[in-house]
Amino acid sequence: MKRIGLIVNPVAGMGGSVGLKGTDGKVEEARARGAVPRAGDRARMALVPIKKARDLCFLTCSGDMGESVLAGSGIPHYQVVYTAQGKSSATDTKEAARVLLREGVDLILFCGGDGTARDIFSVVGRDVPLLGIPAGVKMYSGVFAISPAAAAELVTGLEKAVLRDSEIMDVDEEAYRAGTLETRLYGIARTPAIRGMVQLSKQVYEQPDEERAKLEIAQFMQEVMLPGTLYILGAGTTTEAIARYLGIRKTLLGVDVVRNSKLVARDVDEKALLRLTEGEKDTRVIISPIGAQGFILGRGNQQISAAVVRRAGVAHVIVVATPHKLQETPELLVDTGDPSLDREFGESIQVICGYRLAQRKKIHQPALSESGSKKGKAEK
Amino acid sequence: MQTKILLDEEQMPKKWYNVQADLPSPLDPPLHPATHKPVGPDDLKAIFPMELIRQEMSRDLYIDIPGEVQDVLRLWRPSPLYRAFRLEKFLKTPAKIYYKWEGVSPAGSHKTNTSVPQAYYNMKAGIERIATETGAGQWGSALAFATMLYDLECTVYMVRSSYTQKPYRKSMMQVWGAECIPSPSTKTKSGAAVLEKDPETPGALGIAISEAVEDAATHANTNYALGSVLNHVCLHQTIIGQECREQLAMVDDYPDIVIGCVGGGSNFAGIGFPFAGDKMTGKHKDTDIIGVEPASCPTLTKGAYMYDFGDVAGLTPLLKMFTLGHDFVPPSIHAGGLRYHGDSPIVSRLVHDGVMRAVSYHQSEAFEAGQTFSRTEGIIVAPEASHAVKGAIDEALKCKKTGEEKTILFNCTGHGNFDMSAYDAYYAGKLVDYEYPDELIREAIGRIPKIQ
Repeated sequence: MKRIGLIVNPVAGMGGSVGLKGTDGKVEEARARGAVPRAGDRARMALVPIKKARDLCFLTCSGDMGESVLAGSGIPHYQVVYTAQGKSSATDTKEAARVLLREGVDLILFCGGDGTARDIFSVVGRDVPLLGIPAGVKMYSGVFAISPAAAAELVTGLEKAVLRDSEIMDVDEEAYRAGTLETRLYGIARTPAIRGMVQLSKQVYEQPDEERAKLEIAQFMQEVMLPGTLYILGAGTTTEAIARYLGIRKTLLGVDVVRNSKLVARDVDEKALLRLTEGEKDTRVIISPIGAQGFILGRGNQQISAAVVRRAGVAHVIVVATPHKLQETPELLVDTGDPSLDREFGESIQVICGYRLAQRKKIHQPALSESGSKKGKAEK
Repeated sequence: MQTKILLDEEQMPKKWYNVQADLPSPLDPPLHPATHKPVGPDDLKAIFPMELIRQEMSRDLYIDIPGEVQDVLRLWRPSPLYRAFRLEKFLKTPAKIYYKWEGVSPAGSHKTNTSVPQAYYNMKAGIERIATETGAGQWGSALAFATMLYDLECTVYMVRSSYTQKPYRKSMMQVWGAECIPSPSTKTKSGAAVLEKDPETPGALGIAISEAVEDAATHANTNYALGSVLNHVCLHQTIIGQECREQLAMVDDYPDIVIGCVGGGSNFAGIGFPFAGDKMTGKHKDTDIIGVEPASCPTLTKGAYMYDFGDVAGLTPLLKMFTLGHDFVPPSIHAGGLRYHGDSPIVSRLVHDGVMRAVSYHQSEAFEAGQTFSRTEGIIVAPEASHAVKGAIDEALKCKKTGEEKTILFNCTGHGNFDMSAYDAYYAGKLVDYEYPDELIREAIGRIPKIQ
C-alpha cells in the first residue's frame, strides 16, 4: 500500500487566464477580473483514472485543497489530515506539507504551479518525492508531469518508477509583471519517472541511474579540463557532481569558479564573473540544462549573462547533462537576453552525456528553423 | 537505359586482388602483445590455418580463389550492379549513381565472401570447430552458413545488446547449425572478468573478440575467424570491387567516387582496394575513395594512427591502425556492425597516405538517407549500409550544385530486413545522435591515460 499525500492549490492558475502572469498575492484581483478556479478540474483529470487502484491510500487536506477533489473523482480511500485555515494559499500549502511529512507519505502529489512547488519543497526538501499535476500559470520547474494523464500513470506505476532530480524554479512575479523575466533556481527535488532504457557509454541501463551517469560525466570532464584555464560552473546536480569529483564543494544552486581543480570563487553574480574573467586568455563555461523546458542559459543561472558568455566565447560553452535528462528534453533553449548571441549557438550543440560520450541536441532557434540542417558532417 | 548490369558466372573473378603488392612500402607489421616484436607465422598458428596466415602476410599481387570456393560463391555471385536511376531522378542530380548489391547472398550481406574461404581453409587444415564473434549478427550468420557447407562446428559470441535487439540473426545461425552465445559470457575468462566488473554491460565487439580468441587458443581442434579488419578478410572482399570494375566497363564507365561504410573496414576495402590500386599505379589517379563512418565511433576521422590492440582484453597482436583506444566502448547505435574502436590496418594506411579518405554522419541522417533509398530504389538497407547511401547522396547533391556529371559507385552491403525495430525507433523519433567529443579530447591529449 502506497501512501500518497495530495495538496491542491485551489487558486493556482487563476491569474493566467486574466493576464496576471501568476496568482501570488493576486487572488482577489484575479477573481474580480472574472477568473474561475480550475485547479480542482485539473486534479480530477489526474485522479479519475486511478480511482480503481487498490493499493493507494490518500492523505489530504480539507475541502477544495484535496478532500472534495478526491470525493468528486470517486476515490474511496482517503484520510483528511489537515484542515485548511483559508488565510492564504501559501501558508496552507506549507502547513499541509508539514503535516504530510510528519504523517509519512511515499509521494506528495500536488496540483498547482511553480509557486506551489516551491512552497512544498521549502518544507519537505528532498525527503519526500514530489510530483506536480500541471495547473499553474508558470511551470518552469521540472517536478511537473507533462499532463494530468501522465501524472496518473506515474502514480499508479509508482512501484516501478525510479527517482530523478528535478529543479524547483520560480519567476519573481513582481519583476515579471514589470516586464523582466527572472527565474531563480530554488532547489532540486526528487520526482518519480518512468523506467526507460537509458544509454550511457558503457552500458544500457534499465533505469535512469542518474548518479552513475553524473559520475561518468565527471570522470570525463576531469580528464579534459585544462591546467590554468578558468572554468565557470553553472548550477545543478550534474555540475555539482563534476566539482565533487574534483574534490571541491560547490554550491548546488549557485555559479562557482574553478581553476586547476581549486575553487576560485563561490556563488558569484554577474559582476564578479566579469571581474574574474577580465584579462583571462581562456575561460570555459560548464552548464547543464535547467528546469523542465531545457534552457541552458537564461533560466536559473542568469549570472552567466550574455557579457560573460561573450567573454568566454560560444565555442567555450560546454553543456553537460545525463542521458535521462536529455531523453526528457527534445530541444534545448538559449535565452541570454541577447538574440544575436543566442543565434551564435546555431541549430545544435554537443552535450556531454557520459565518459567520452556526447549527443548532438537541437537548439530551438525560431529565426533559423527554415534554413535547414547543417549539422553533423566532419571530413578528414 | 540498363538498370541491372550483370556478369555471367564464368566472368566471376578467379583471383583476389592483394593491394599490399601495390603499396609503396610494406605495412607496419603486427606486434606481439607481450614482447612487442613483429608477429611471425608461428605466433598465429594457434588460431589460424597456415594458408590464411600466408595470405595475411603476402605481397603477391593476385591470389587464386580455390575452385571449391568459387563453386560456393557462384550460389549468389557475381552480384548485380545497379544504376540508381530512380534515386538520381529524385535527387535531380546530373551524377550517375551505381550501387553494388551484396544483399543477394544467403546470409544477406557481403560477409559470406570471406566466411566461405575461411571455413574452407580451416576444413583443409583439419580443424573441426571455429569460434568467432559477431556484432549485429551479419558475420555470425555468414560464418554459420559457411561452416555448415564444410561440416565444421561453429560457436558465435554475439554482442549481448544485438543478441537481444536482433533475435532473428541468432535464429538464422541455429538454422545453419551454429551455437550462438551472448557476450560477455561465463564460458571464457575474459568474458567472466567483464561480467564481474559490470554485470549489466551491453557488450561490445572488442569484448566478444577477446572471448572467441580465448576459446580458439584454449581448444586444440578450434580455430578463430574474424569477419573484418585483418588483411586476408579485406583480400577476400576484393571480389566486390573487381566485379564492379568489370560491370562498369560493360557500360563504358569508371567511377570518379567510390564509397563504402566503415566499421572494421572490410566491405570498404572490398569495393575500394581495386580502385585504390588503379590510383596508386597511376591508371586512374583522381578517384575519390570515401569511407563513411558513424559520428558516434569516428575511428578514421577522429582517431589516432598508432599501434593498438584489436580487442578490449589486449589478447590480439598490436596493429598499426586508426583507433579511438581499445578501451573505448562505442555507444549502442543501431548500425551495430560499425561499432569498432579500430580499423583495418590497410584501410588505415591508405587513409593515412591520402589514397582514401573518410567522413562521418549521425545515425538519424543515415536513417533518413536509408529511407530515401527505400522509397526510390525499393531495397530496405541495413543501418550500416545506410551510411554509405548517405555518403553517396551527399556527393550526388554536390554534383547538383556544381553541375558535374560524376560517376558515383557505392557498396550496398546488405538488407535491413532484420533491422525493422531500428527503423521503428527512427520513426518514433527515438534515435539518439551520439557523437565522440573529439575536440575536448584532442585539447587534453596527453592528460588522457595512454592506450598501452
